[in-house]
Amino acid sequence: MSSTSQHLLLSPAELAYLHGSLSLITPGPIRPDGRSPTQFRPLTAETGILPGTNGSARICFADGTEAVVGVKAEVEKTPVPPYEFVASTEGRKGHSSAPKKSSRKSKKTTTEDEEISMDVDEDDEEAAGVNEKARVSPDWVELSVEIPGLRDDDSGTVFLTSMLTEALLADGEFVKKLWINRRFHWKLYLDIILISPPLSYPLPLLSLTTHLALLATRLPRLKSEADEDPMFDDDWAAATFLYPRQDTTSAKASNKSPKQPSAAAAAAPASRPPITLLVMAVGDNIIFDPSKEELAVADSAVAVSVAEGPSSETEPESESIPATSTKRNLHLLSVRTIDPPSRLTPPGVPNSVNAAAWGTMTAATPTTTTAATAPANESGAAKHPDARVTETEDVVGVWKAPRGGAKFGMLGAMVAKVLERGGVAEEVLDGLEGVDLT
Amino acid sequence: MPLDTSTYNLALLRVDGRRWNELRQQKGQLGVQPSADGSAYLEMGNTKIQCIITGPNERDTKSTSSASTAPTSHGLGATVAVSIMIAPFATVDRKRRGRNDKRLQEMQTTIASGLAATVQGQSYGPRSTIHISLNVLSQDGSLLACLINAASLALVDAGVPMTDYLVACTAGSTSSYAAADEEADPLLDLNTQEEQELPFLTLATLGATDKVVAMVCESRVQLTRLEGMMATAADGCKGVRDFLDGVVRDKGELMVQEGAIGRGEVVSSMDLD
Repeated sequence: MSSTSQHLLLSPAELAYLHGSLSLITPGPIRPDGRSPTQFRPLTAETGILPGTNGSARICFADGTEAVVGVKAEVEKTPVPPYEFVASTEGRKGHSSAPKKSSRKSKKTTTEDEEISMDVDEDDEEAAGVNEKARVSPDWVELSVEIPGLRDDDSGTVFLTSMLTEALLADGEFVKKLWINRRFHWKLYLDIILISPPLSYPLPLLSLTTHLALLATRLPRLKSEADEDPMFDDDWAAATFLYPRQDTTSAKASNKSPKQPSAAAAAAPASRPPITLLVMAVGDNIIFDPSKEELAVADSAVAVSVAEGPSSETEPESESIPATSTKRNLHLLSVRTIDPPSRLTPPGVPNSVNAAAWGTMTAATPTTTTAATAPANESGAAKHPDARVTETEDVVGVWKAPRGGAKFGMLGAMVAKVLERGGVAEEVLDGLEGVDLT
Repeated sequence: MPLDTSTYNLALLRVDGRRWNELRQQKGQLGVQPSADGSAYLEMGNTKIQCIITGPNERDTKSTSSASTAPTSHGLGATVAVSIMIAPFATVDRKRRGRNDKRLQEMQTTIASGLAATVQGQSYGPRSTIHISLNVLSQDGSLLACLINAASLALVDAGVPMTDYLVACTAGSTSSYAAADEEADPLLDLNTQEEQELPFLTLATLGATDKVVAMVCESRVQLTRLEGMMATAADGCKGVRDFLDGVVRDKGELMVQEGAIGRGEVVSSMDLD
């Protein structure tokens, strides 16, 4: 269960009113803050606020919630099983810079054979490099979420952490960026801190902040080659971005040789980190970025994670259209349903069946004949067949908590609305592109 | 990494190029968090702190479980609850600290009891709590002093009545052995490098006065040097107080310019001291 259940001081009547105005069909939903259903809260964002980190970002939503994300990278040794290590050292012979002496020695004896074996080795090396890159581990990323007033092991915090981690690791592309060589990799620590008290469900805020921080993350440029102990350039200005810039031509040029292991980060196509959006449904309406009050009356809430892959260069139309208007290649990473707090709010009971309001007998007896025959001391609404009917029916102006899960059609519609061209995900990504990355 | 302090005697300049009585560059901002009751951001050198104040409101036992509390006005006023969160990325090497870290708890208690001495909490009643949450975003020495200064700045933003700013500063001594007693200089406002090498203390005073509210010293110091260090720290506190006051006045100026407050009322109330 998530931590969407927070204290919300709204009466059943207010909840019913809110639910009613959000589920309006003819003029569309009317939100308390006047936003359109797909509109996000305005936000201010900045990156590179902490020079002590590899990448950092801070986002402030208009309602005052604020998050800071710091990314730190450490070089870590990749554990190599012994039999693979033997195989890799044999494959490396005569190719990499370290065992040059041995190859020179062998040159005296054979010249042509050496050449041939070199070529073969190189192919092996490339094949091994590809295999090695496939052998990445999700442990290379560690993500932590800190929410004030909540314990580290609070179920809500753990749920948020796993949801954000899942989005990051879902397509397996992200960890490949952390590969240095066979023996070493980057270990990336993402620490997400919610500065403000959690006024609304913080998932979109944390996700967008993480997105920006990852975009701003830079790793020192690798100076060493192949499987040597990694040596890095001291110059921070030469550091490479984890997600290379789209406008740099070097990234596209190196696109053609993606097997080059040393240029792992630079060779990666211009993609962007995932974003997770919170979508909720009220009646037949789909509403994005719900505030706390709106979430309180949601019929169902869903967290949709979306990533942008490399802009499709196979399409012929992208040649003619300028770079700014090329369509984004969005793909779905994960969908998670979130328990809206509305499931936890007790339903309002109309006075006619409310035993506490003395309504059971007086309201029910004149209209029905069965109630009149029932003995007067049997006052519980649960025992009353008619009262049960009125309790499960919708009564105007009385809040009734939604029952059952999200409908399949609605889930599909929500995901489609996120992914559609010119949809919300594109809009958010466009908006975040405007943030100056320093 | 030990610091090479021998170079200090050559030019009387410290590792970061300061003289013995110079504070690091400071930057402060009020009201950085619109949803909080009061907030402040403070930078002293590379130590960066954001302070959020919630309350005064009714005591919430759940959220103050890991915080340290201290009652004001001899138990008749509001309680001050302080919780510190050090971001894992604050230090050079990433390090995650639990909420029950003993050092954090100790700092929380020091700050809470120090602030309780200056906050006029009797106007709120004993069942209310002022919750001060301090986020350390970057850490480079003088942590406790910075936390105290940030908290006091945020309390001003929250409009909590106080007798004066509670300001703090660290002071150290250039050498740690007795033989060099004559040429030992006190140093003001240490950074991490110096803190690791030299004996130092943190001193909190009430505004620009010499009234010491809190003093923390966790290293061995020659007794003869203690007085000099305390005097230096008290001087530093004056500097910090002037700086914090400047930040508050700038914010007031800004509010007048933006039309949030009329000019007359602000100026008259600010001229009182």
